[in-house]
Amino acid sequence: MSLQLSVRDVTKRFKTGEGVTGISLDVTKGELVTLLGPSGCGKTTVLRSIGGFLKPDSGDILIEGRSVVALPPEKRPTSMVFQSYNLWPHMTVYENLAFGLKIRKLPKAQIREAVADALRLVQLPNSEKKLPGQLSGGQQQRVALARSLLLKPAVLLLDEPFSALDAKLRQEMREELREIQTQTGLTMVFVTHDQEEALALSDRIVVMNHGHIEQAAAPRHIYDRPSTLFVARFIGKMNFLEGVVEGSGIRVGPFVLPNEDRIEGETLVGVRPEDVILKAAEAGEGMKGLIKQIMVLGHYAEISVELEGGGTVRSFQPKDAVRELTAGQQVAVAFTKSIAYPKIGDN
Amino acid sequence: MSKGQGRKQAILGLIMVSPSFLLLLIVVVLPIAQSFVVSLREESGGIGLGRYAYLFEDKGMRDNLIFTLRITLVSCALVLAVSYAMALYMRFSDGRLVDWIRRTYMIPLFIPGVIATYGLMNLLGNHGWLSRFLLVFGIELPRIIFDQKGIIIANLWFNIPFATMLLSSAMAGIPASVIESARDVGAGKLAIFFRVIFPLSFKTFLVALTFVFMGVIGSFTAPFLLGPNAPQMLGVSMEQIFGVFREREQAAALAFFTFLLCSALGYFYIRSMAQEEASRS
Ligand SMILES: Nc1ncnc2c1ncn2[C@@H]1O[C@H](COP(=O)(O)OP(=O)(O)OP(=O)(O)O)[C@@H](O)[C@H]1O
Ligand SMILES: [Mg+2]
Repeated sequence: MSLQLSVRDVTKRFKTGEGVTGISLDVTKGELVTLLGPSGCGKTTVLRSIGGFLKPDSGDILIEGRSVVALPPEKRPTSMVFQSYNLWPHMTVYENLAFGLKIRKLPKAQIREAVADALRLVQLPNSEKKLPGQLSGGQQQRVALARSLLLKPAVLLLDEPFSALDAKLRQEMREELREIQTQTGLTMVFVTHDQEEALALSDRIVVMNHGHIEQAAAPRHIYDRPSTLFVARFIGKMNFLEGVVEGSGIRVGPFVLPNEDRIEGETLVGVRPEDVILKAAEAGEGMKGLIKQIMVLGHYAEISVELEGGGTVRSFQPKDAVRELTAGQQVAVAFTKSIAYPKIGDN
Repeated sequence: MSKGQGRKQAILGLIMVSPSFLLLLIVVVLPIAQSFVVSLREESGGIGLGRYAYLFEDKGMRDNLIFTLRITLVSCALVLAVSYAMALYMRFSDGRLVDWIRRTYMIPLFIPGVIATYGLMNLLGNHGWLSRFLLVFGIELPRIIFDQKGIIIANLWFNIPFATMLLSSAMAGIPASVIESARDVGAGKLAIFFRVIFPLSFKTFLVALTFVFMGVIGSFTAPFLLGPNAPQMLGVSMEQIFGVFREREQAAALAFFTFLLCSALGYFYIRSMAQEEASRS
């Protein structure tokens, strides 16, 4: 796999002191990488630096092996889909799509064909004559996507492109984007603060926090083995229990869990709700607790258990398995999988 | 909606627009109609368009007309070029100079016209400050005051601030993101200007043009104080016909003709608005 985009140790600090520091990221051809993180962590800053709308203070950005940091946006082989559609309100859909191709001086017949193809790809055929104001938000965003796809950019940049759409449409657009990506083989960098979207969409997720990268890995890996407490908290749901290092393991209640990372001192042990097992209290082993609440959420149920030693653990169970359970019932809790983090500061 | 309710709403609507309609009638329509009626009275005592024919037949009047149109067109072109450039500059640059312009460009709006005109006379006149200053370097200032140059300079002074204000607000209404996406697809500065910025501010451009045109063509103070004795701008000429020659009918004909010139521009303005409306629905 050849390297399509390479961000090398990029730092950008605004006058206010905020920004990003030491960002390094390699994206191979045809890969879809998401930048994920809470609001204000610097995702847009990284994306705009790649697109040329911000000039990094230091570091280098290479696209297909060539440094582009000195180039203005109009000279970069990138294209960006913005959060706020950004269609030109005075141009029809056709003119919006054709604008970039006209600048590239393509013959008219070819432009016409390319525009029609792009509109078919985003499932908006025959809307050439409409003005952006006559389209719904989702349709406008598709046109914006088509406008970028048409230019066949070396890297397609998307900054929370679906965040203004409702949940159902967002889901549809996600699937559509995935399909377009397999069809076109485009390299994409996708910014989102929605971890579900990132998990569903990406080949690789880059989790950012406070202007630096916390972890970059495949969705599965990020979900199963979050490398920092921040990632563990940010991605998916996670129970946290206080643990004490004991010999080669970590003691949590009656259990001694593995200490793979050789952590010392106080620890927090994370357990995904789906790795929490509930057994009848009489079974004897496990942490005792009382069922506080049972919520059926579609095909599964979320059960909160208040532990005897304090704290609450949430467990996901198939919805049929909860029939015998009732609120107030005593249960024993056990874990199939866990991951430990050093307890730092007020974490 | 029932028929009765519809009628009620229609009557309510009429009542609501009637004050402004009455005002328009009294302040605008009636005087124009009156001028027109007066202007139809011929010198011979009959009724006809003789007063209008005179506007074109008399050499002096014809010169005045051409002079007025030329000054108006040149002023409009200069004002809009300068205002547009300033609005663009203020929108897309920053720094000390821009801040300074932003703070000061509206000052001329707050200086009474007569005072500004006298100021210009003192500055640009035959023995004014500028000519005395240039004389030190052995440069002789061409005639500016009592010449069309003086009128045009005064028109710039009076019209640039307001036109700039209008155009600036139009520029402010163009989101940076719309321009960024144009750069993103590869548009250079010229393409961005002609394909994005100008079309998006064209409506305001027309409004500014209309205001400047009407203001200049009907101006009086500056041409009266700064202009040559002949040819004259229509406003000055009208005053002379009315006040000096006491030909009320001829002055009315000139006034009505000026109104027609302005309504021609008004027609273009309204037509372009209507086209926009039509394309939107
Ligand atoms: N032009 C700017 N000038 C000063 N500070 C800025 C500027 N742009 C962004 N910042 C700051 O830099 C930090 C990172 O901003 P950025 O827009 O990259 O965040 P983000 O991760 O995209 O957030 P969101 O999810 O809310 O879009 C923020 O703290 C923000 O306040
Ligand atoms: Mg952002």
